[in-house]
Amino acid sequence: MSKSCSLSSSACSVFAFIQHRYMTMHFSFLSWHAKGVLILCATLLLSSCGSGESRVESGNRDGVLHIGNFAEPQTLDPHIHTGVPENHISMALFEGLVSAHPKTLQPIPGMAERWEVSEDGKTYRFYIRKNAKWSDGVSITAEDYRWSWERASSPMMGNQYAYMLYIIKNVEAWGNGTLKDFDQVGVRVIDEHTLEVELENPAPYFLNLLNHHSFYAVPRHVVLAHGKMTDQYTQWVRPGNIVSNGPFMLKDWKIYHQLTVEKNPNYWDADTVKLNEITFYPVENYSTEERMFRAGQIHKTEDIPLDKIPYYRANEPEKFRNNPYLGTYYYQFNVTRPPFNDVRVRRAFALAIDRKTIAKDIMYGVVDPSYSITPPGLSGYNPPKLVSFDPKEAKRLLAEAGYPEGKGFPEVDLLYNTNESHRKIAVAVQQMWKNILNVSVGLTNQEWKVYIDSRNRLDYDIARAGWIGDYVDPMNFLDLGLSSNGNNRSGYNVPEYDQMILKTIPEASSPEQRLEEFYKAETRFMTDLPFVPIYNYKTKYLVHPSVKGLHPNYLDYYYFKYVSLEKEGN
Amino acid sequence: MAISNFDETEVGQSLWQDAKQRLRKNKLAIFGLTVLLVIGLACLLAPWITPYGYEEQNLGLGATAPSWQHWMGTDNLGRDLLTRVLYGGRVSITVGLIATGVALLVGVTWGAIAGYIGGRTDAIMMRIVDIIYALPFMIFIVLLMVIFGRSLLLLFLAIGLVEWLTMARIVRGQVQSLKQLEFVEAARSMGLSQWTIIRRHIIPNAIGPVIVYTTLTIPNVMLLEAFLSFLGLGIQAPQSSWGLLISAGVETMEEYPWLLIFPGVTLSLVLFSLNFLGDGLRDALDVRASKD
Repeated sequence: MSKSCSLSSSACSVFAFIQHRYMTMHFSFLSWHAKGVLILCATLLLSSCGSGESRVESGNRDGVLHIGNFAEPQTLDPHIHTGVPENHISMALFEGLVSAHPKTLQPIPGMAERWEVSEDGKTYRFYIRKNAKWSDGVSITAEDYRWSWERASSPMMGNQYAYMLYIIKNVEAWGNGTLKDFDQVGVRVIDEHTLEVELENPAPYFLNLLNHHSFYAVPRHVVLAHGKMTDQYTQWVRPGNIVSNGPFMLKDWKIYHQLTVEKNPNYWDADTVKLNEITFYPVENYSTEERMFRAGQIHKTEDIPLDKIPYYRANEPEKFRNNPYLGTYYYQFNVTRPPFNDVRVRRAFALAIDRKTIAKDIMYGVVDPSYSITPPGLSGYNPPKLVSFDPKEAKRLLAEAGYPEGKGFPEVDLLYNTNESHRKIAVAVQQMWKNILNVSVGLTNQEWKVYIDSRNRLDYDIARAGWIGDYVDPMNFLDLGLSSNGNNRSGYNVPEYDQMILKTIPEASSPEQRLEEFYKAETRFMTDLPFVPIYNYKTKYLVHPSVKGLHPNYLDYYYFKYVSLEKEGN
Repeated sequence: MAISNFDETEVGQSLWQDAKQRLRKNKLAIFGLTVLLVIGLACLLAPWITPYGYEEQNLGLGATAPSWQHWMGTDNLGRDLLTRVLYGGRVSITVGLIATGVALLVGVTWGAIAGYIGGRTDAIMMRIVDIIYALPFMIFIVLLMVIFGRSLLLLFLAIGLVEWLTMARIVRGQVQSLKQLEFVEAARSMGLSQWTIIRRHIIPNAIGPVIVYTTLTIPNVMLLEAFLSFLGLGIQAPQSSWGLLISAGVETMEEYPWLLIFPGVTLSLVLFSLNFLGDGLRDALDVRASKD
């Protein structure tokens, strides 16, 4: 796209914005006549700039989906990236051994056309499709998977998601370097198209994991052409080099501008794929993104500014999507130092937070108040609700801990990373604590990396945090409390709890038994209360009505192969 | 009549009285001064003006447009904007005054000494200024805050300590040209000490550009405070300042325009007034112009 063209399109967006404003706000002091003239002017300006066709319109005609993707991807290597923007692109480029149903996320055949599970639930045998091919036509074999998983879990790779593969027998030992030989790991190539996997313990969610990018196969022949197996950030992910096995393949990548993928003719299910291309735009500012959406430059936004929500709800509800998202927003205490090493103080603070008000009045009802660390509806698991809003009990507990009416309470700070909605919630919670407990809590905001560092060093009293699930299982949330989990960051270290998570639950005899153990573990966790849940995330974004088949699901995963664009009248 | 007339002409007028009279004739300057006084007083008397506290929330109310209960409306936590503007003004005005005061004190003294003495002293002093100039200013302030911890007064001082550099350069240039003039020669020939000459003759004559620059420094400093606070180095919520209110207002200007308009108008009013007053002061204090 040339420079002048992009200039004119931004001018378009300004006029469209003006027009939009005039049509939606009621300027009662203007006569109908004046209003008509204004709208006419705005329309003329709009139509006079450029060809008059927005990206959405031309995209609908040519089968090109334009979506806002928040940030520039750090890399497209599925064994390195960790962010949500990269994941969206990865899901277009790659497909797991097992895929998932776009709505329910139940396992459905992907690269493997079928699989068998042994009676003890520990051994899986996958039959890879005979017609499974990389986008350059090279066949995908069982060895590709074995090699890729060796790469993904290799200690040399530095993959932050390597622990996801520890579910496979002996991978943990391999991953932390004590086992030097990958052949002793529970992954066996039976023949060219058959792969056998042996797990450490039976895990009903293993098939869901295979849909995660850390389990994707990468093209061995391409990776090795550009470096060794475990070399990071080599040229293999650049346009022209990278080949992939998903419904789309990389066409073009302009850093900080746009990334385009096109239909992969060698994909086994290419007939299902309806889109010709998808273009991802790294737009970090939600307000800018919303304006692009309004001007018809993108079909879908990544997010929406909170303050825009009432408008869309009232006027264009068909464009606004708000669906459950597997994640919890919580506050955590530094349990290693006073005053929050006292569970009564922690509980008093937790009970003094009015979650309903936060969800309804600050977040405009686009989130659900949360009373447990695991979100509701995780494969049949109903978490215990042990925290609620109870000012009286909160006061009593604080008094019992030695601070009646907040008297003598030390100076503490609430830490959050610089962000407008975190600030709003922090200010509101600060006021709740002040009103109910008569405790003054200071607020500290830090830039993301400093904030992560402060939490890692336990240099805080209370900190804001959030966790988005990677697979639909309570384990994904409850293992946050493990003393060895790098995302714990609260100093919570209870051997009994570690035992429950690491031993009791994985060795549970039946799925029902497993859920029961989860319930016990969470009850323990929410009684100790190192984390205080505030709300459960919900996705909130805008989608153009012409986009069909972009199904909402709990992980906010986009299965682009089912997406189609409806041509409009013109 | 004649006698009293005669008496009057006998009464000498000091430079300052002259200046006061000239300032009084300048309507814009007086307007500026009045506005500043009114806003300053309102901020000072905030608790008696509004029935609300600046941190007092009404989550059920949310953001509302200006009304009789809330003259400037409320923000999305239901806090009264007028109250927040008044309390925010306290922070902004204090930052403006203290930081500018520090900049003035250090900058003028430094520049005057360097310019008047000249030679090697001048070279060394100005190279120090150059070196501090070369330091990335953000890092400098962040370092100060890290070493001494977060406190409001320190923030004011830190900003002031960065802002004095330009002032020192301007004053030095002025002084260099002034010290060649006859009246300084005359003062020197009468045996006045160097410090007295700087204090009594040089600085008052260099005051014009200094005042103009000061009026530019104050808004600069107020915005700087907002920026630092946004990064978490300045004041912390629920406290606020005009700069912070504006930057929060910008984000929601389409939905709740009043959150931007009122703090914005207040800050602009203050800045305009400062400029008018600064202009007036410069004209009033310009000795050379008045002797024409």
